[in-house]
Amino acid sequence: MVKNKRKCLNLSVQASLIRRVFPTAGVTINRGKMVCKLLLQPSPLSDSYNIKIVYDIDNHPDIYVIKRKLKLFSGATSLPHVYDTAKQHLCVYYRTAKEWNKSMPIVDSIVPWTSEWLYHYEFWLATGTWHGKGIHGKPKPFRKTK
Amino acid sequence: MLNEEIKIQLNEIFEEISNNLDITESQFKKAVESYTAVGNWLSDDESSLSPYKPMIKPQGSFLLGTMIRPLLETDELDVDLVCQLVGKNPTWTQFDLKNAVGRRLKANQTYNQMLDKEGRRCWTLNYADSSKFHMDILPSLISNDYQIILEKAYSVRDYKDYDKIAIRITDKLEENYYSETNPDFWNKSNPFGYAAWFQQKCLTNIEEARFLSDSMSPMPNYQKRKYPLQQVVQILKRHRDIMFKGDEDKPISIIITTLAAKAYRQEQDLYVALFNVVNSMEKYIEVKYSHEHNKWIKWIGNPVNEEENFADKWPDNPDKERNFFKWLQQIKMVINNSSEIRGIPNIQLALKEALGQEAVNKAFTSIAENAIKTRESGELFMKGGTGYIGLKDADNDIKVKQHNFHGEK
Repeated sequence: MVKNKRKCLNLSVQASLIRRVFPTAGVTINRGKMVCKLLLQPSPLSDSYNIKIVYDIDNHPDIYVIKRKLKLFSGATSLPHVYDTAKQHLCVYYRTAKEWNKSMPIVDSIVPWTSEWLYHYEFWLATGTWHGKGIHGKPKPFRKTK
Repeated sequence: MLNEEIKIQLNEIFEEISNNLDITESQFKKAVESYTAVGNWLSDDESSLSPYKPMIKPQGSFLLGTMIRPLLETDELDVDLVCQLVGKNPTWTQFDLKNAVGRRLKANQTYNQMLDKEGRRCWTLNYADSSKFHMDILPSLISNDYQIILEKAYSVRDYKDYDKIAIRITDKLEENYYSETNPDFWNKSNPFGYAAWFQQKCLTNIEEARFLSDSMSPMPNYQKRKYPLQQVVQILKRHRDIMFKGDEDKPISIIITTLAAKAYRQEQDLYVALFNVVNSMEKYIEVKYSHEHNKWIKWIGNPVNEEENFADKWPDNPDKERNFFKWLQQIKMVINNSSEIRGIPNIQLALKEALGQEAVNKAFTSIAENAIKTRESGELFMKGGTGYIGLKDADNDIKVKQHNFHGEK
């Protein structure tokens, strides 16, 4: 297999690509770490959610829902497809399989996946079943992208 | 004003709910098989009715395509049928015709056991097995050329000669039930005229396909794709069933169907059709002075027989009238509010209360599953600025790449 040699996108490129699609997003870069806050509404009838994406070049981006406490379906004790229910730290892709790499614009990958996660979260809360498929099992905590 | 994106999403939701209200194809086929068997028994060469070419045909909601699944799986499905005879023995009264049909049914051991006690106009067969139907069979009389006229009524776009397709029926409560041999003095009923009228109301401008012509074939097809008006009626009837359960004074289907058809303006989008229908159907209730009651009464005319008032029970039973308006107010709230609520779980909750848990849960499940299928086929996009996901709408929408959500369910 040919290794993906595409160029790693630096933080300021990532930030400007996000701002181009979400002009109201708040993106800051400080000491090699990008923090992006944006509002996502997964569908016209959905609620809107404040999202925080934290990314530095050596690690996978971390995605959180902030400001609002996500609800659990009656009887459930945790959110589906998260690293941590209390922190609302979402698992939107399979890190082990390298579904994401540093050459990919966050706004073309992480952001749509997050919106899609929110979409399925709302349907999960409505029906009690996660219909968004995915890989099951406890996510591994590794963070390094290398 | 309703925004376009919300309209599209509400359409999807109501379309999916509607898919879960219609009777299933197997229920449909079972009903057709069962009434065809009755028809064959009646028209068999050995049958005393065979000279009159008896035919069993569906009428009512089964014919209109507005039948809905019963709320509980254990509930029975009512299938209304017409048993039509071409001509009769000149000496027959209404009593004789009714009983000629009854006798032939009783001559079959199975049907004899299934027969309910005689109705005012009908014979009723109870299918107690897994199919759980009530079949109301209305004995009736038609003229020789009836079938040709009916075919025309079903296929001509602006057919208006409804009276020509009225049929003569029997009625035990009529004074001349035992005496009158001239059918011109028997009661008329016009289930096929009503169906032709309803079909005309269903037709949207771009669609010319018809469902009634198909109903005339010996083996009609299950109509998989309903017209918006048929779906509207099904949704309204389901809401009525949820709201009133078995209450005898609940709004009757023929009133809901007639007002909905009169209010419908060929809207193609189901939600838009629902919205317009529930907000304008009241306008089609007239007020007429009744000498019998010595007061002004509400009038919902039968479109194929303006002398018949579908709301004729309202003056003597004000609960029926009150319930109709209570129902209308409720369904208006459900439909109008659904574009105001935000959060899929909140919308689902409101619709579940209004239209039933099972149909609504299945609908929301299908919608979520469709989103995954759409992404897997590479057709799911995200809109910049908002984050809406859905089908591609603008050039700069961002494709949702393949990926796997990870973690515990």
